[in-house]
Amino acid sequence: MTFAFKLPDIGEGVAEGEILKWMAQVGDQIREDQPLVEIMTDKVNVQIPAPRTGKVLQILAKEGDVAKVGQTIMVIDDGSADGGASSTPAPAPGPDQVTAAPQPQQSPSSQSILATPATRRLARELSVDIAQVKGSGSQGRVTDDDVKRFASAYRSGPSTGTAQAPPAPAGGAGSREELVPLRGVRKTISERMLKSLQTTAQVTHVDEADMTELVLLREAFKGSAEKRGVHLTFMPFIIKALVPALKEFPYVNSSLDEQSGNIVLKKYYNIGIATDTEQGLVVPVVRDVDKKDIFELAGEIEAVAERARKGQLTLDEVRGGTFTITNVGAIGGLFATPIVNAPEVAILGLHKIAKRPVVRDGRVEIRDTTYFSLSFDHRVVDGAYAARFTSRVIETVQDAKRLLSEVL
Amino acid sequence: MIEADVAIIGGGPGGYVCGIRAAQLGLRTVVIEADRLGGECVNYGCIPSKSLITVSRLADKLKEAEKFGLKASGVSVDFVQLQKWKGEVVSRLVSGIELLLKGYHATILKGEAEVLSKDRIVVTTDQGREAISCRNLVLATGTRTSSLPGLEFDGDLVIGSKEGLDLKSAPRRLMVVGGGAIGLEFASIFQKLGSAITIVEIMDQLLPGSDPDVVRVVHRKLESRGTKIYLKSKVIRVDKKGSEAAVEVETPDGTVTVEVDRILVSVGRKPRTEKLNLRTLGVQTDPRGYVATDNRMQTNVPGVYAIGDLRGPPLLAHKASKEGMVAAEVIAGMPSAADWKVIPDAVFCDPEVSSVGLTEAKAIEAGYRVKRSRFQFAALGRALTSGEPEGFVKVISNEGDGLVLGVQIVGPEASDLISEAALAIEMGATVEDIALTIHPHPTLPEAIMEASESAAGRPIHQLKT
Repeated sequence: MTFAFKLPDIGEGVAEGEILKWMAQVGDQIREDQPLVEIMTDKVNVQIPAPRTGKVLQILAKEGDVAKVGQTIMVIDDGSADGGASSTPAPAPGPDQVTAAPQPQQSPSSQSILATPATRRLARELSVDIAQVKGSGSQGRVTDDDVKRFASAYRSGPSTGTAQAPPAPAGGAGSREELVPLRGVRKTISERMLKSLQTTAQVTHVDEADMTELVLLREAFKGSAEKRGVHLTFMPFIIKALVPALKEFPYVNSSLDEQSGNIVLKKYYNIGIATDTEQGLVVPVVRDVDKKDIFELAGEIEAVAERARKGQLTLDEVRGGTFTITNVGAIGGLFATPIVNAPEVAILGLHKIAKRPVVRDGRVEIRDTTYFSLSFDHRVVDGAYAARFTSRVIETVQDAKRLLSEVL
Repeated sequence: MIEADVAIIGGGPGGYVCGIRAAQLGLRTVVIEADRLGGECVNYGCIPSKSLITVSRLADKLKEAEKFGLKASGVSVDFVQLQKWKGEVVSRLVSGIELLLKGYHATILKGEAEVLSKDRIVVTTDQGREAISCRNLVLATGTRTSSLPGLEFDGDLVIGSKEGLDLKSAPRRLMVVGGGAIGLEFASIFQKLGSAITIVEIMDQLLPGSDPDVVRVVHRKLESRGTKIYLKSKVIRVDKKGSEAAVEVETPDGTVTVEVDRILVSVGRKPRTEKLNLRTLGVQTDPRGYVATDNRMQTNVPGVYAIGDLRGPPLLAHKASKEGMVAAEVIAGMPSAADWKVIPDAVFCDPEVSSVGLTEAKAIEAGYRVKRSRFQFAALGRALTSGEPEGFVKVISNEGDGLVLGVQIVGPEASDLISEAALAIEMGATVEDIALTIHPHPTLPEAIMEASESAAGRPIHQLKT
């Protein structure tokens, strides 16, 4: 019996995913629960296990294709009897075992497929398992046309147009350009960044913050953080400074639902942390930051960043953010204008903390300062509102006493 | 340092074909051969043995020439000239392979390859050590002759097929241990060149696995020419006495002693993997030591491929060549795979034996409603006019739809006749298709048409059974 493996509902309203990698090819024996396909959804890679044991008959969504939830992406022969030709279910190979090539001479199933060698080649080229094609010729002979019809019938939907060129021969000698397929995280970033800029009205507001007291505060807490086994960065303090400001300026912690024509004000505070990984930018989310102290936050940030770098984030860990922070301070620069992580309304950019001359009470002093840049969607939030929000954050950051009451 | 897209270790019928196809596809290709291009097939197997077979048959034919009204006297075999001619044939093919590889701009490295990793190989050539950095590695080192305990090769009394082809004279008494394809070819060659032959086979028939009806024809012919055949038997003792030996053979009817001058051992082959560093590569093998691959020639290690004998039986040059093409095409990004239905085989014994697809027994085992039809060469004009009336064509088809499942041939030029049957099976032809295809008269392939007509229920040149 053939089993149509449909892209399962991965949860949280994921409607589609990009096929990143198939871990089995047509003709392979697969075992239930072995990792079968890697799907990229919404900035995270999910490994989906094989739904049952059997033989891969056909792969209907190629690597790079986008499949919708419920779309058949693979056809599996699960070996249960249906009066089909072969029905000698080969034993499932162990995880480390390579499936030896079938000995064609002894396989009645390959004998019983009636198609010329050229038609069989065509089927391979179109990724069709010819055993599944109903032949229209005499005695069920499969013709070229049958194969083509079969291929196009299954290949409906968005992937139709993605007739991919065969992979370039390993190393086209002497080329001065290299083709890197736009895939996976990179592809998602490119789509989302463009969409954000095209569908929102973004403005960036920049302000200066005096970090001198925060620098001292962090020093003071460092020891107790280490005792708890966490490395304390500035990030948990900034997050804690954000919370009262987000509460006071609820539109910054909202999203615009265009379909219903509502602005959705969120009474929960899930902060996305933009994280640089080898694959590209990913944004794990730390949830309910208002209910956690700086040590909990530090531990969580550390953990999700580590998993992000290893590509081990689960879907839940990258969804449901209400506001995002991006910190390029470690790399340098004066300040940047980040792109809003839509459908959120604002993103806060943190930058390098440096000793700079500052005028205080008519005197020049050397203080630890930095720039906060807030990019926001002007459709939802006006400039004055955003500026007041930023000022409130900075006030908290600059006032150690106030911050202390927030962080613990 | 040579930078390559593909490095192929082994320049036999698998490796050199892989090299040509890879180079044709624009891949930077290196073929590494430790001995001679063409491998076992061209140098020590198919080709030299066929040279000897041609001459031995001719010599044999002349013995009965008088029957056809041809008077030939003073016929003798000049072994020196025979070996020289055989060598020329081989050299010509080897240089042809070299020409082709170079013509397609593949690099040939002659020397032993040392695999450091899947992308780094060092080859020790006459000029020194050459390092190769490769993106893909194709293992094509084939198999080597296995020996039997107690019958170790000594290059003199106990020899393998390679030495057997280079003999300077026909042994007076030759024992062939192993009645498979290679053993029977040698038995046929030297029987015709004047040796007294004894064949010792451990299984219950010659050419184990072949259709028993077919084997019976070969067996009878060998015996009619004085060859002694011991089945279900094995050599238990060899007493060397100078240049000859007394060999004790354990047979179902007791132990017999056979006096021989040479013993040719052909009891199978084993994969040549010792120098491939498979463990370091992490490449998996099956319990017999053959490299495990999928039908795209890929091993469990990405970028490492195996083709030909190294992948396991059937150990056939034409299988290796096709697999070489598949590997090259897969590396070049094409959707190629080994999806052929059948692999024909041919044994150049007397009469010749060839087979493709299912035998009767295998077809029944596979659950087909088997229809068997035969046509005897004795009823075929061309076979009679060639003076070779022995043998038959047997067509195995599926009752009802008439699909051709297998064809076995024993008789004149069986090796040449089998390709039509292979094409029929690959194309999904029925016995009707073959029967309705006009075959020229008078030719040997008519026998396949006649057997197919018989299967279709309307034979002309035989009575309906």
